[in-house]
Amino acid sequence: MERVSFFDQMAKNKRNSILLAFFIFLTLTALVYVVSLILVPELSLLFLVIAGVVVAVYAYGSYNYGDRVVLGATNARPVDEREQIYLVNAVEGLSIAAGIPKPKVYVIDSNEMNAFATGKDPEHASVAVTTALLRNLDRSELEGVIGHEISHIRNYDIRFATLVSVLVGLVAIISDMLLRSWRYGIRGEEREEREGLGFLVLIGFLLAVFAPLVVRFVQAAISREHEFLADASSVQLTRYPEGLASALEKIMKVNRGEMRVSEAVSHMFFVDPNRSPLDELFATHPPIEERIRILRSM
Amino acid sequence: MVIYYVNRITVLSNRIDNAWSQIDVQLKKRADLVPNLVNTVKGYMEHEKDAIRMVTKARERMLGASDMKERMKAEGELSTALKTIFALAENYPALRASENFRLLQEQLDGIESKIAYARQFYNDSVLTFNNTISTIPGSWLAGLIGKGMPREYFAIAEEERRPVEVKF
Repeated sequence: MERVSFFDQMAKNKRNSILLAFFIFLTLTALVYVVSLILVPELSLLFLVIAGVVVAVYAYGSYNYGDRVVLGATNARPVDEREQIYLVNAVEGLSIAAGIPKPKVYVIDSNEMNAFATGKDPEHASVAVTTALLRNLDRSELEGVIGHEISHIRNYDIRFATLVSVLVGLVAIISDMLLRSWRYGIRGEEREEREGLGFLVLIGFLLAVFAPLVVRFVQAAISREHEFLADASSVQLTRYPEGLASALEKIMKVNRGEMRVSEAVSHMFFVDPNRSPLDELFATHPPIEERIRILRSM
Repeated sequence: MVIYYVNRITVLSNRIDNAWSQIDVQLKKRADLVPNLVNTVKGYMEHEKDAIRMVTKARERMLGASDMKERMKAEGELSTALKTIFALAENYPALRASENFRLLQEQLDGIESKIAYARQFYNDSVLTFNNTISTIPGSWLAGLIGKGMPREYFAIAEEERRPVEVKF
C-alpha cells in the first residue's frame, strides 16, 4: 500500500509542477499586461510580448539552475569526502535504498541544525546539511534526516518546491511593481480620466496586495503536506522511526530559528529556518512536536 | 489501460534487475578491498591465520560463483568472516591504532550498510512486482509478455543473523 501512495505522490508532483508552471506563466503575463495598461496603454501589446518572453526565460532558467541559486544563497560548499565519510556513506546508502542516483552533497557552515534538498529531478539533485547538524546527530539520527531529504528527491517534491519558490519570488517583485505603478498612476492626472482605467487600477491594487498572501498561503499548505509524507517515506527507507524522531527532538532544543534565508526558499528546509509571529497561518512546516508524535506512533 | 499495465510490469521487472546490479556493484567493491585488508592485518594478527584464511576463501568463492543463489550464500559467509576479523582486531591495539586499518574498517562498514540498503531496495522491488503480477489485471497480462513468474526475495542467510562468536 505504501508503495502505491509513493507512486501516486510522484505522479501528482509531476502533474502539479506542469500546472504550476503554466499558472506562473499566465498570471505573471496577465499582471504585467495590467501594469502596462495603466502606465502606457499605447504600448501594452508590446509589453505583453516582452513580459511573456521575460517570464518564460526566467522560469526556464530557475527550473534548470534554481538549485545553484539556492545552494549559492545559503553558502553551501561541496563536501570533503574524506572529512565527512559518515555523511557521504549515509547519502549513498539511502539513495541506494530509494533506488535513485547518488545526489551531490553540500555542507553549510551554521550553528542552526538544518538540511535541504534541491534540483529538478533525481538525476540532477543535491543535498545540503549544516555543520551543526553533523556535529550534534549520531548515525541513526543523521540517516533519518538524510532519508527525509532523499524522499523529497525521489518523490519529485524538489521540482515542485523549486517552481514554488520561483512563483513566490516573482509575485513579490510584481506586486511591488504594481504598488509603485499605482502611486505613479495617481500623479498622472490625465490618465485617471481614461475609460475603465479606474477599474483596472482597482484590480491591480487588489492583486498587488492579495497575490503575495495567497501565494504564501498555498506555499505553506502544500509544503506542510510534503513534510509529513517525507517523514513517513524516510522511515520506509531506514525502517527506524526513532532515529528521525530523536533528531527532531535535538533540533528543537538547539535551533533558535535564526538562519537567515529568504522566505522564497524556506519551505525547502528540513525544519523551518526562520520563526516568525505569522507562523500559525503561514508556517511552511508542521510543528516539530506534531512530527515527533506521529513518528513515535508508527 | 492495457498498455499502462504492460509498461508498468516491464518497468518493475527492470527495476529488480537494476536493484540486483546495485547489490553486485557493492559486492565487487567489497571484494576489491578484502586483499587490502588481509595484507594490513597479516602482520599484526599472527595467531589468527584461520580467520584470515576464511575471509580469503569466502572472497574467492564469491567471485567464482556462477548463479545468484550461490553468490548470495558466499556473500553471507564473507560478511560473517569479516565481522570475525573486526571482532578479533579488538585484541590487537597496535592494529586498531593503524590509520590504514581504521580507514579500511570505515570503508567496509559503509559498504556493509550499502549492501543492506541495496538488498532492502531489491526486496521492495520484488514485493511491488509480485503484487502487481498476482493481482488483477496484472495477473492476466504478465503471462502474455512472459513475465508471469514471481521473482525471488533476497533472503538473509541463517548464519548471518547469529551474532559473531569470538573464541579467546
